[in-house]
Amino acid sequence: MTRQLVARLLHAIAVCAVVATSVFVLLQFAPGDPFATALDGADVPPSVRAEGRARYGFDLPPGERFARWTGALVRGELGYSASRHRAVADVVGDALPRTLLLVGVALVLGFAAGVGIALVQTRHHRRWQDRLFGVLTLGGVAMPEFLVALLAMTWLGARWRLFPVAGIGSLGDAAAWPVWERIVDLLWHLALPAGALALAVASRVARHQRAALLGVMREDYIRTARAKGLGEWNVIVRHALPNAIGPVIALLGLALPSLVGGAVLIERIFGWPGMGLTLFDALLARDYPLILAAVLLATLLAVVARTVTEAVAEFVVPRRAREP
Amino acid sequence: MIPHLSRQLALVLCIAAVTACRGTDASPTGGILVVSAGADAETLFPPLVAGSQGRVVTELLYDKLADVGPALNTFGDVGFVPKLARSWEWSRDSLTVTFHLDPRARWHDGQPVTARDVQYAFRVWTDSAVGAVQRAALATVDSVSVPDPRTARVHFRERTPEQFYAFTYTLIPLPAHLLASLPDTALRDAPQMRSPVGSGPFRFVSWTPRTRLELSANAAYFAGRPRVDGVVFLFAAQGATVAARLLAGEADFVEQLSPPDFAQLPQDGAVRAQPYGGFDYTFLLFNQYDARDAGRPHSIFVDRALRRALTAAIDRTTIVRSVFDSLARPAIGPFSRTQWTADTTLTGIAFDPSTATRMLDSLGWRDANHDGVRERDGRPLAFSVLVPASSRPRQAAAVLLQAQFKAVGVAMTIEQTDFNAFLDRARRGAFDAMVSGVRTSPSPRGVQDWWGTPGPDRGAQNWGRWSNAEFDAQLDSALAASRVEDARAHIRAAYQAAVNDAPAIWLYEPLFFAGMHRRLTVGALRPDAWWSGVADWSIDPAQRLPRDRRAPATP
Amino acid sequence: MAANAWRQLLDDRGARAAIGVLGAAVLAAAFAPWIAPYDPTLQPDPVALRLVAPSWQHPFGTDPFSRDVLSRVLHGARVSLGVATGAMLLSVTLGAALGALAAVVGGWVDGVVSGLVDVLIAMPRLLIVIALVATFGTLSPWWLIALIGGSGWLTTARIVRAEFRDHLQREYVLAARALGASRWRIIWHHLLPAVAPQLAVAAALALAAVIPLEAALSFVGLGIQPPLPSWGNILLDGTDYLTSAWWLVVFPVAAVSLTVGSALVLADRLRVAIAGEEHGP
Repeated sequence: MTRQLVARLLHAIAVCAVVATSVFVLLQFAPGDPFATALDGADVPPSVRAEGRARYGFDLPPGERFARWTGALVRGELGYSASRHRAVADVVGDALPRTLLLVGVALVLGFAAGVGIALVQTRHHRRWQDRLFGVLTLGGVAMPEFLVALLAMTWLGARWRLFPVAGIGSLGDAAAWPVWERIVDLLWHLALPAGALALAVASRVARHQRAALLGVMREDYIRTARAKGLGEWNVIVRHALPNAIGPVIALLGLALPSLVGGAVLIERIFGWPGMGLTLFDALLARDYPLILAAVLLATLLAVVARTVTEAVAEFVVPRRAREP
Repeated sequence: MIPHLSRQLALVLCIAAVTACRGTDASPTGGILVVSAGADAETLFPPLVAGSQGRVVTELLYDKLADVGPALNTFGDVGFVPKLARSWEWSRDSLTVTFHLDPRARWHDGQPVTARDVQYAFRVWTDSAVGAVQRAALATVDSVSVPDPRTARVHFRERTPEQFYAFTYTLIPLPAHLLASLPDTALRDAPQMRSPVGSGPFRFVSWTPRTRLELSANAAYFAGRPRVDGVVFLFAAQGATVAARLLAGEADFVEQLSPPDFAQLPQDGAVRAQPYGGFDYTFLLFNQYDARDAGRPHSIFVDRALRRALTAAIDRTTIVRSVFDSLARPAIGPFSRTQWTADTTLTGIAFDPSTATRMLDSLGWRDANHDGVRERDGRPLAFSVLVPASSRPRQAAAVLLQAQFKAVGVAMTIEQTDFNAFLDRARRGAFDAMVSGVRTSPSPRGVQDWWGTPGPDRGAQNWGRWSNAEFDAQLDSALAASRVEDARAHIRAAYQAAVNDAPAIWLYEPLFFAGMHRRLTVGALRPDAWWSGVADWSIDPAQRLPRDRRAPATP
Repeated sequence: MAANAWRQLLDDRGARAAIGVLGAAVLAAAFAPWIAPYDPTLQPDPVALRLVAPSWQHPFGTDPFSRDVLSRVLHGARVSLGVATGAMLLSVTLGAALGALAAVVGGWVDGVVSGLVDVLIAMPRLLIVIALVATFGTLSPWWLIALIGGSGWLTTARIVRAEFRDHLQREYVLAARALGASRWRIIWHHLLPAVAPQLAVAAALALAAVIPLEAALSFVGLGIQPPLPSWGNILLDGTDYLTSAWWLVVFPVAAVSLTVGSALVLADRLRVAIAGEEHGP
């Protein structure tokens, strides 16, 4: 067990090192300047831009910059974001919890809804419920995500005013509110972005879960369970689901890291400044330290997420774990 | 009007000037003004502010010594409105301006604003370790001395017509009593700059970057408390979201409505649009040099007659009406109509496809192989146009340009890149042509930066490296002219030279329309700074919203 | 043995419908110049005829430049499907090659490929492509195919590697090897046919992933360059007029969703057919 853990850790470090190096190398080829957009005023002389580059060490040769950057990283310093005039750690510290909240809520909602839909579809296999949800979930996967978000914002937000258009909280000093009010306000603002994201997650989960359930339903032990006179719901939920949910959890575990940065368009449309938007803005601003930090974080999350999902899948599905 | 000729007049004007006090009808109305904005401020440290949102916030937090008046004159000091300085006077040689600070002016922590703050700010702005963005604007200022705490004396190195403007428009006095103990290099990250103490009509409350920034009315403001209780800025990167917030009633004000936004304005009149000029102009810039070899003249665009022919092929009225409907005007030359130096009587190159065709034919560009594209000596009349992916109107203009060029046998391809790459290639000259836009300032000096022959003192943004001696000379004369009328005549000549030489096709000048909720009453919006009168804006007490009660907490 | 799966696929109504939709899209793309009523870049009158609602003359309406949306959607199929197919072929080929390499050679090659997959799968693909687009500047469709295809091989590589490793242990492979068949012969004649159905699934899924990616890339302004129409950039024009010109959104989205949906259905049915074959009837 310990040996496995150490091996995993070493693997994770190796992966991070490869990512850091390749991103750094890639960025060397990107045209642009960390100060191009920040200092775009009509009368900013080139000398001021040159000073800026020198201040943050962008004028050094790439090799030296890389050495400096990795050195700082080893000491736990992520550097300074020139496009935001803030420490990278602060920027990431703001953005990461927001994304984890958004993605977390969307995953929980989407997973629950998706599994629920799949159960209904399995129960009513080949009947209208199955077909209806089949079409809906197919649409949920096939529709471009940003369009769903835009439609939700325009109609549910701006037109019908059912939910806030954008933002992460109401006006006022949230620190002074009672805890429940803060939670309600947060969920209220999460409704559209998390809903739009959850729609996509639920559709994918439902499609995979349905397929997995139908596969399991053919197994002998299901027939045995039925023969014992158990109700159909009972058979599906108690017997089929535990054996069919493992692959879906694994799928989610794989999806999580890319969701952390991949919600960029949803974050952008709903003014939810999380990691995706931060990385996107950093890419456009050529804010190298911020890009590197965000990418490393995503890698780290991927490694963690995979380990956790593997553990969860083993825990949930002991039978599968014993299979070769 | 140059100071040394009109000193007496200026003096009289200054003494007569009343401080910017609000009238009796300007009692507070309460309410929180919520502004929906696209980009956040990158910093609140005034010397480092480069983007427009940073300017909005810092200029609500901090007062300048004096501000340009509604006429937006930048020569001498005519029309300037007293702010922190109650009055000022010129020395006989016009090399010194003495500002008398308003004794009532206070920092938000209650300390008086003193001349030392002006002196300190000047030092910070000109310290290369700070890296102030607008440092060049203060190049003609030698020093600031402090005869007494209420008097700041500014010594100029040389007389220029815009010396007063350059100093007062750029420099924002900073609270020396809070900052002077810090080394200059530490200022940009100082906690004081995350929760700034200013001198203006609004106090800082809180800032969550890229999300929200809150200000509250400064009840102790020496020129009278703002009428609203506070200002909150909400940020969203997506343009549609910025407008949606206004349409949903979550915000009261949007700086600029885009043409598609107008189709969405509700029928009940809850949201209205108010025009306020605009300081931008957009053009198709021709690179005079080769995109790959910066030392070689561009094989097509080096020919003035060809540039004129291309200009004649473009129907700018159609472009403006298609992209903007009535929300823009065709551009005239290297300026915006809102600048005082604008001249609408120039002789431009009219849209005339038959002339364009004839000119192209006579220049030897003919479509001999009938593939729809003209060629000369076997080389097709084709070029690529760089467009920033961040600007929808410019992309739309490019699509229309492409079709219009095609109609006269010119093959234009579009290259959209992200803004950073766009700027990078612009600066390196790695493009054939580009749809470029300029946000001008009231001063005509920017013209020199964009269109002057590239050199140490001008042309820093002249990406097409166009060079015209007549233009340079006339502009020099204008910027040194001793009378406004002379300056106008020279500038007109310079502009005409530019239009005749066609370094670019002048496309459009967007008209800015602010969107606002009907409960909000604003005065006239200044084209270069819509926020300059926010302290006088009011919210109808009968139309209060629940969110107004959630006032930003005063720190 | 794979023939059975294909036959079962064609017996399935959903699969037939999906193949029908995809076939129609391919036909539309192939014959766009002949069936489209107008030149997709023609701007008859960008002032008077902009954003005209659907009519007999313009069944899908016109866009902000007065171009015919039907013609643009038909021609857009060429670009969108072309890019999608190209990227799909590239990513599946690359994935199959790398997956096979990792499984057959093993050792450090396997380590590198698996490590690469582990890393890249954590990165949001849209951001990877945006980063690459920003790095290489503006894109021709060919570049777009290279970038999108080059970033999409991960799952295929994973599947192929797992399948190959599985088959390498099976008796028929061991037998072939014992008979002296070369490694490449085994791969070519035994392993590849065995994983062909899985590759087909991966290809369908890759197609389903690429089309929305192109749309998203257009949405941030870095997709196919005008005047070339693609479903993504038609949709981009539509997002500006979401509430006032529905036809600019509905038709390109229908095209995208139907194609993606069909690809997904096809992948599903294919998978069922393979599973059915493995499990026996």
